[in-house]
Amino acid sequence: MENLQTTQTPTEQSLEAENAQLRRRVDDLETELVEVQARANAVVAEWQERAYWLDRWHLDLNALMRKPGASEFRAGLRAVRSVARFFKRLRRSLSRA
Amino acid sequence: VSSVSAVIPVKDGDRYLEELLDALAREGVEEVLVIDSGSQDRSLQIARAWHVELLQIDPGEFSHGRTRNLGAERTSGELICFLTQDATPCPGWLAAYREAFTLAENVGVAYGPHLARPDTSPMIARELSEFFASFSPDGAPGVQRAGDPTFLSNVNACYARACWEEIRFRDMPYSEDQAFGEDVLAAGWSKVYSPGAAVLHAHDYPPVEFMRRYFDEYRGLREAKGHVEPFALAQSAGHVRRAVGADRRWMADQGMSGAEAARWTALSTVHHAGRKVFSALGSRADSLPAPVRKGLSLERRDDAGAGTSAAASSNGTPKGAPAALPPTTPVQRKLSREVYEVAADVWANGPAPLLEPAPGAADRERLRLAMVIPPFNRGSGGHNTLLQIFTRLERRGHICSIWLADYYGYRNAVWPAVLRREIRDYFAPFEGPVYKGFDRWQGADVVIATGWDTVHATLRLDQCHARAYVVNDHEPEFFASSAEHSLSAETYSYGMHCIAASPWLRDLLIDRYAASAEAFQLGVDHDVYRPRAVERRRDTVIYYARYVTPRRGVPIGLMALAELKRRRPDVRIVLFGTDTIPDASFDYEHLGVLSPEQLSVLYSEATVGLCLSLTNFSLMPKEMLACGLPCVELAGISAESIFGADGGPLELAPLDSNRLAGSMQRLLESEDEWQRRSRDGVEFVASHTWDQATDEVEAGLRRALREREEQAALATQRGPR
Repeated sequence: MENLQTTQTPTEQSLEAENAQLRRRVDDLETELVEVQARANAVVAEWQERAYWLDRWHLDLNALMRKPGASEFRAGLRAVRSVARFFKRLRRSLSRA
Repeated sequence: VSSVSAVIPVKDGDRYLEELLDALAREGVEEVLVIDSGSQDRSLQIARAWHVELLQIDPGEFSHGRTRNLGAERTSGELICFLTQDATPCPGWLAAYREAFTLAENVGVAYGPHLARPDTSPMIARELSEFFASFSPDGAPGVQRAGDPTFLSNVNACYARACWEEIRFRDMPYSEDQAFGEDVLAAGWSKVYSPGAAVLHAHDYPPVEFMRRYFDEYRGLREAKGHVEPFALAQSAGHVRRAVGADRRWMADQGMSGAEAARWTALSTVHHAGRKVFSALGSRADSLPAPVRKGLSLERRDDAGAGTSAAASSNGTPKGAPAALPPTTPVQRKLSREVYEVAADVWANGPAPLLEPAPGAADRERLRLAMVIPPFNRGSGGHNTLLQIFTRLERRGHICSIWLADYYGYRNAVWPAVLRREIRDYFAPFEGPVYKGFDRWQGADVVIATGWDTVHATLRLDQCHARAYVVNDHEPEFFASSAEHSLSAETYSYGMHCIAASPWLRDLLIDRYAASAEAFQLGVDHDVYRPRAVERRRDTVIYYARYVTPRRGVPIGLMALAELKRRRPDVRIVLFGTDTIPDASFDYEHLGVLSPEQLSVLYSEATVGLCLSLTNFSLMPKEMLACGLPCVELAGISAESIFGADGGPLELAPLDSNRLAGSMQRLLESEDEWQRRSRDGVEFVASHTWDQATDEVEAGLRRALREREEQAALATQRGPR
């Protein structure tokens, strides 16, 4: 090995160093890719675990909310909820008083 | 300005004919031809009084396509308008048609809306209005080209003569306009919907006549376009309910009074329900008996078939000429693609290129692994093997994902989260994501095919460093000569590194396909399959009689058991592994499909197991041995590659029912022999674990990556050619 090194020209030595540096960079990138993929898989798997009943019942909430009347229905629910909350708060404040 | 001819087929059409001819004169149509096919009313007198050309034909000669071709031949205008006898052009009709032919260079035909007459029923009026509005939401003329709606109606249409000459109406008894609508767009012409070219027209008939007319129309649609009207009770009831609701809203918009609206609501219900039933019957007319067909048809047609049959009879087959072909049955497209289209994709484009190998990738601690699996059911042995191993690879830190390749669409109705849960419930607690199809493909260090019907899909996946093929069995043997046989045999020839589920299978892949291959041993779940604390019987033979799996050789197994029963009538025989109860020439007991826990108890209780495989050795005999149950298998196939030439703890017998019976009899009658086999079996399979199998498969996956590196290095040494 030593013999080889001693016979290498400066250009060859610099090329080898550059190669080693590039290999390390590729290794780092591969490691990063593995980490990113692991995180992405975990997120998708967790979502699939949570979405089981939606998928079981073929419910695509995005598609459902795009249907005519869906936004209005949701707005109606929010209105009902806000009224209910108002009365809840009112009852609480009255009971405190 | 193009010259214009109008052609009007007539039969007993005196009710509106005068009004129609008056309107044509008003619009400035130069040439009018009335083709009468046997009118008994004043139609002929009216035509003569208006001094239009009159052509009388025999009623039997009439056919919607043929008669209109005749009309076009007998006229000379550059534009030919076809109208029915009850369609009255509205003012501006002809000007609108003339304008339509200027909207694009290659307009072959134009058509206009049908407006309801004042006495038209609300059901028809609403439908006409909504139907034609759908072609032009903004009320402007629209040019329709290939891919657009093909609708065309000869109630009110105008043809460029050049276009008609090129295409002509098909010689069919009905729906010639729909066929022309398809043909004209397919031939590269365009057609125009012109809202201004309106006619007053509505088909209002008594309910029964209306339904019979629908029977004829949908029969014609089936013959022209292959359309089969769907019919299911719940959906049809929903359809009728929605249609009646729409009619009621339309009536309300028209300011109809309550009593009148109630009367029309009742009629609307009859109308829509009757139409649904008769249109469904019409499009299935060929399945009805001839007298029923004739009775339901307004035109009293009782012929069985498609327009082509009418064409054949009209052309006439001279005596002595070869027999005419039977009528064809048009069949609608039902699939988005052919079942094995992915194989055609591989043949056309080859496998997707692999990524350049990353030096040292094979030795990295964590690999990105993507396993492509075929559809599965609970109890699938092959999937259990794959998932036992893949979940262990996942636990070792590899980044794992599962991808379902479903060529046949078996699991179309199952969404990914449900698939994932099924995998976890049926096989093993896989933690990673499960995908259906490859829309979200993200690449992998190694993509793993796991069955012949995953290989072509796997080959088309890009962004991979290597591909491997976990081969559970020699699948071409599952099929007689067939597309599946050829396609599955082909899967071994794409250079994927094979990891085979036995040394026998590995050697076969190398010898027959020159594949790069290594083997792994199927593992046993020793937590489940172990001798249980149940009393061992001395008279019981159990047999895995899965008739639906031909490679299990069930008829041979049953013959062997019949022979055993002849020799030992006292023996108790229990069949399991299938819900179907096979007929046999001997009495036996049946247990159906059992859970692993139940199987373990059965194996711990029985005296002898019989489990045959005509291809690769399966896991079941190992599980029997693990429970201390001696097992009889076939010699000379694959078992020797695992257990040695003498079968080791297994009792091997050739493919001969007498010899198989002899092997079982020996184990039943020789206590020493039974004890030795039972003890040796438990010992032998003790080392056959899923962890060991995972070690072997992991080594195979790393080998696939190394092979890629070696191939790339070899290519570099050779240099560019």
